[in-house]
Amino acid sequence: MEWLNLDDSVNALSLLGLVAIVVLTVAIVGKYIKQIKDEKAEGELAGYDWDGIDEFKNDLPVGWAAMYTILIVWGLWYWFVGYPLNAYSQIGEWNEEVKEYQAKYESKWANADKQTLIDMGQSIFLVQCAPCHGETAEGMGGKAANLITWGKEDHIEKVVAQGAQGMGFMSPMPPMMTDSDGAKKAAAYIMANFSPRGETKYPNLVSEGKAVYENVCAACHGIDGNGVEMVGPSLVDLTGEVLKYGKKDSIGYMPPFKDRFTDVQEKALGEYIYSLR
Amino acid sequence: MFSWLEKNPFFFTVAFLVPFSIAGLVEIVPEFAQASRPTEGLKPYSMLETAGRQVYIKDSCNACHSQLVRPFKSETDRYGMYSLSGEYAYDRPFLWGSKRTGPDLHRVGDYRTTDWHENHMWDPESVVPGSIMPAYKHMFSNSVDIDTAYAEAYTQKVVFGMPYDTPNGVALGSYEEAKALIYDEAKAIVADMKNQDVKDALARGEIKEIVALIAYLNSLSNERRVAQ
Ligand code: HEC
Ligand code: HEC
Ligand code: HEC
Repeated sequence: MEWLNLDDSVNALSLLGLVAIVVLTVAIVGKYIKQIKDEKAEGELAGYDWDGIDEFKNDLPVGWAAMYTILIVWGLWYWFVGYPLNAYSQIGEWNEEVKEYQAKYESKWANADKQTLIDMGQSIFLVQCAPCHGETAEGMGGKAANLITWGKEDHIEKVVAQGAQGMGFMSPMPPMMTDSDGAKKAAAYIMANFSPRGETKYPNLVSEGKAVYENVCAACHGIDGNGVEMVGPSLVDLTGEVLKYGKKDSIGYMPPFKDRFTDVQEKALGEYIYSLR
Repeated sequence: MFSWLEKNPFFFTVAFLVPFSIAGLVEIVPEFAQASRPTEGLKPYSMLETAGRQVYIKDSCNACHSQLVRPFKSETDRYGMYSLSGEYAYDRPFLWGSKRTGPDLHRVGDYRTTDWHENHMWDPESVVPGSIMPAYKHMFSNSVDIDTAYAEAYTQKVVFGMPYDTPNGVALGSYEEAKALIYDEAKAIVADMKNQDVKDALARGEIKEIVALIAYLNSLSNERRVAQ
């Protein structure tokens, strides 16, 4: 019989509960019926006489008295401490839940592999960035920066030749003078060593690029590429810098997304943008 | 003594309600008054923003857009910080809306910019493929009603005590002063726009509705809400 499968603990417990309820009901109801049948009123009378009706002297049941006292104490606590200080608030609940969730999220994805981060970055990008940069990130025909080329070798070469501005650093980056192919070498070094892509089109230029970078660029971007406060952005986390400061230049105005993403999410956006080809 | 009351159901009900509503009044009214006070640093709408708000109301943007971010993670991820009731203290009427055909706009100034709005209001599908939001091309040719904007801002100041003309605050001044202010504001917005007709109109002294609307949308951001 499928419906009476007592191997299933839920069924067994339900049946046990059913038996308990029946037994208890019979016993208790029986007791009271017997009491109604047999019991005589007895006890000490108070001696009143209200139209022939008197009253027994009964103490307040202990349970009631305890309940009464506890409620008074609780009432005082609630009025003076509980309600003013510990009241429920929806926003308080949001704050706590989100904090807890965020911590769990950060630890769960702390060591995510590259492909996971790229996928995560793409899904964030489609919600938050695609309305301006387009679903393919190419910038919708010039309405926003083309992120397929942005940040990679050609773009770095262009930045070195033309300078860059609009993130609100103390002064913009001026066009840089380098010897022949210096920009290309520096770009190769930056792509291989600093950028999330971690590889370059010109692997044979990387070692020469190191010298160019350290001579020309490091003053503002730091030897390790992590940037210099107020002077130049980090090239290790350039997307993070753009999200922090926004950018207003010839293409348009990119608003800052400060504090909108967790560290993992920012990293994921960077991985996604640098994975675009 | 109360037999009179017991015979008059109406007055009995009143006499009953008075003591029984005290607890409610004591707990609800002060919280309510507290929550509807303006949040610290909240700025009133400037002239151009007021004009833009009127355009927003006139074109019924609130039929499709809400302005209330609820404290749910899914919403704060998309729109930013949840809304507080004190943020609406200077909204008369408030524009919470009741239907989200499009996204919430209460924080839109934090993640959209002038040039984007310009493209989007001219032709939503040019930036959001498949968008069902209507285009608002007429806003690029209709001019703003400066008189009504001033009348509204002035009423807010005089009747409702909105803090215009405070030190370092939003200026309003006399009608002439306000008119000069609205042109300055419009210049800053138009500088970030590309539409040549709108630029030419401003040079002639006409402010197009789109300029005011964008100023209003940009003002739906933290900059208006947090003391700088
Ligand atoms: C005088 C300081 C300075 C020097 C030297 C300098 N930069 Fe920059 N760089 C900046 C600043 C400031 C920015 C941020 C510009 C902005 O506001 O967008 C920047 C931004 C960049 C960017 C990002 C541009 C963008 O579109 O976001 C790249 C790439 C870059 N620099 C590469 C280099 C390279 C390569 C060199 C060396 C050849 C170099 N920089 C030397 C100051 C400097
Ligand atoms: C309101 C529209 C808008 C949104 C939303 C937007 N961007 Fe942008 N973004 C722009 C514009 C416009 C530029 C070009 C700025 C310029 O150089 O004139 C830009 C430039 C950039 C750049 C290059 C900056 C540089 O240094 O040249 C990066 C990287 C970028 N955006 C990433 C993002 C990411 C990631 C998101 C989503 C979190 C995002 N953007 C959302 C409009 C937007
Ligand atoms: C028929 C309903 C409808 C009306 C009326 C409407 N919108 Fe929209 N709106 C939408 C839809 C749907 C979207 C989402 C698609 C898109 O971004 O175009 C949207 C998106 C937007 C966005 C982008 C928000 C974001 O976070 O991406 C803005 C800003 C906006 N509308 C402003 C306005 C303004 C201002 C008006 C009034 C002039 C207006 N809308 C009237 C339906 C509407």
